[in-house]
Amino acid sequence: MTTDHALLGLATIMYLGLFFVHILYFTWQKKALLSFAQYALYGTVIVQAAGMAMRWALSYRLGIGHVPLSNYYESLIFFSWSISVFMICMRKRSLYPVITFIAAGISLLLMAYASLSSGVEKGIQPLIPALQSNWLHIHVITCFLGYAAFVVSFICGVLYFFRPGKIVPTRESLESINYRSIIIGFSMLTSGILTGAVWAHFAWGSYWSWDPKETWSLITWIIYALVLHLRFTGGLKGRRIAILSIAGFASVIMTYFGVNFFLVGLHSYAT
Amino acid sequence: MTVIKSSKKGGGPVFRGIPAFRFLTSVRLTITTLSLIAATSIVGSLVEQGASEEEYLSHYSERAYHFIKLFGLDDAYHSPWFYFLVVIFAINLFLCTVHRLKRLSAAKGRQVPDLAALVSSGAGFITGSANKSEVVRRIGPAYKRERVTETTEVFEKGRFSRYGVIIIHTSVLMVLIGGLVGNISGFKAYLALRPGEGASAAESRTPGRSAVVFGFAVKCTDFRVSMYPSGQPKEYASDIEILDEKGNVLKRGRIRVNEPLSYKGIYFYQSSYGRSNVYTFKADGRTVDIGDREIVRDTKVPFMVVRYAEDVHNFGPGVMVAYMDGDEPKTLWFLKNVEKMRKHVVKGSRIALENINGQYYTGLEVSRDPGVPAVLCGFVMMLIGLYTNFFTSYRRIYVAHGTDAIIVAGIASRNKEGFIEDMKRIGEGLP
Repeated sequence: MTTDHALLGLATIMYLGLFFVHILYFTWQKKALLSFAQYALYGTVIVQAAGMAMRWALSYRLGIGHVPLSNYYESLIFFSWSISVFMICMRKRSLYPVITFIAAGISLLLMAYASLSSGVEKGIQPLIPALQSNWLHIHVITCFLGYAAFVVSFICGVLYFFRPGKIVPTRESLESINYRSIIIGFSMLTSGILTGAVWAHFAWGSYWSWDPKETWSLITWIIYALVLHLRFTGGLKGRRIAILSIAGFASVIMTYFGVNFFLVGLHSYAT
Repeated sequence: MTVIKSSKKGGGPVFRGIPAFRFLTSVRLTITTLSLIAATSIVGSLVEQGASEEEYLSHYSERAYHFIKLFGLDDAYHSPWFYFLVVIFAINLFLCTVHRLKRLSAAKGRQVPDLAALVSSGAGFITGSANKSEVVRRIGPAYKRERVTETTEVFEKGRFSRYGVIIIHTSVLMVLIGGLVGNISGFKAYLALRPGEGASAAESRTPGRSAVVFGFAVKCTDFRVSMYPSGQPKEYASDIEILDEKGNVLKRGRIRVNEPLSYKGIYFYQSSYGRSNVYTFKADGRTVDIGDREIVRDTKVPFMVVRYAEDVHNFGPGVMVAYMDGDEPKTLWFLKNVEKMRKHVVKGSRIALENINGQYYTGLEVSRDPGVPAVLCGFVMMLIGLYTNFFTSYRRIYVAHGTDAIIVAGIASRNKEGFIEDMKRIGEGLP
């Protein structure tokens, strides 16, 4: 086992720990557990970043040096990391333990899937010529930060249907966090689509080819654009916005996972 | 954005009184068209696009295929009704944006909001008149000061924030216009060249369209590919020359994947590569090099290679040559390593297969898209617009004089919590 896999394995275990610390907090309601969870989250993010950095360094030792953002395995790890980074950034804005709890669970699932599924190639592969571009970094980073923000929006959408109380925050707070996440996610997704289009212009000779991944990212973009317009101009609130954020996230899932499995296209190297 | 909502109730410029205009500027229409565009995209991503009739019939029943054809779902993104949706969306967006711009510029003579209500919501406070200069100092120089009424002053910051939506909507229109321009006057074509070969036209990617003529010639002088130890391609590049009719070199360069070369608005992209054979024949004493399906015309009867086999019945490599005997097509095998089968007399011409040479060819994507500048400009605008709209805030702080007290209260378009904090900071410790 190489160092990068060891570190990423450790990060997975730390996510598991984080998950259980939250459960302990919900049962005992001890403030100390919560601040412990907060430091644990920082630690996990650092360990996971170190794992990715090791992988990066290792790729150079193999003579095929590239940023670890080039295949499905690496994207899963980066996705789970982005969610935690987003958690930390939102922290200042009074994020609720139940949200970090579910987010840690999702990060854990992503990491476990990445390392346990036999269908995910875990080796460091050389970059095919089309991926050898500086647009790769900005495109992948913006897309996944967007996805991470939509994860939070989805969590808020789901929590909306639970009775507010000790664990579940008030509906007003959920709506406000949901709305903020959608704004960040939408801006990031737009940046991701636009950087992707500029890259496609240089690599494929066309900024838009209606490739399934492009098409689904547009569908996702339209859904969140509708959410924003319905909220602002239609004054839509509450349940409907919550349902729409869940629908939007379903489209994100389709854009990221579904397209790879059900449809073929130019983005095939992402599988 | 509440502006549009209120306009639905019938306010606004005169033309909005006409039902058709009211319909075209409604947010309901935007939501409907956008939803339909999304729905079409879903169908388009699930039904294979641009496949042949046989391929569809192997997946779908005949009835389903007729349905697909009827609604143009085999080319959904170029079907008339998809264009119709996009055009309706563009008109709607344009009218909404113009309307919004009008409202914004008309909003100059603004009214003072209910300051008492703002104070009770936490976005303000009441303090003694003596503290006014301290309040003004705390608001800071970032706010522009203006007198609204006799007794009220307003301090404003980030007015530009209100133009964010307009910038985003204009940018979407620019991208759509750029796309339209590219669709009408651009092209996409494909060209395969062996090193040393040139061309002045390429096969169009759009089915049924004739070849695209460049107005100059493009020549591949060299092609190279390097591999990773695993056998995957690491890099491939072509050296390209642009020539005029007389053969003068106008431009020279190397193109790689991600690094195209352009000349007079036509872009050449490295898109693929492959190997093909070059056959060297001696025909009537002259040596000719031809590729697959290339016709030699200067013999008594024209001929071409129609098939290549690496090993013909253990006699080594050979090619099947086709020619016309009167009206009848005939074929003949030439075997490179068998002396007797290497040469044939075809209708009085002595033809001999001298050599078979495997060679790389470079696959170039050729495109011209005059809409790209507008599209790229739209992209930049969209990012600026998103930032302005979502991450800057239009803040107004009103200072109204009473007899011996002043009311300080304000409104922010974004980040209201942050604004309330700032208001608390301004009012802190003031009696």
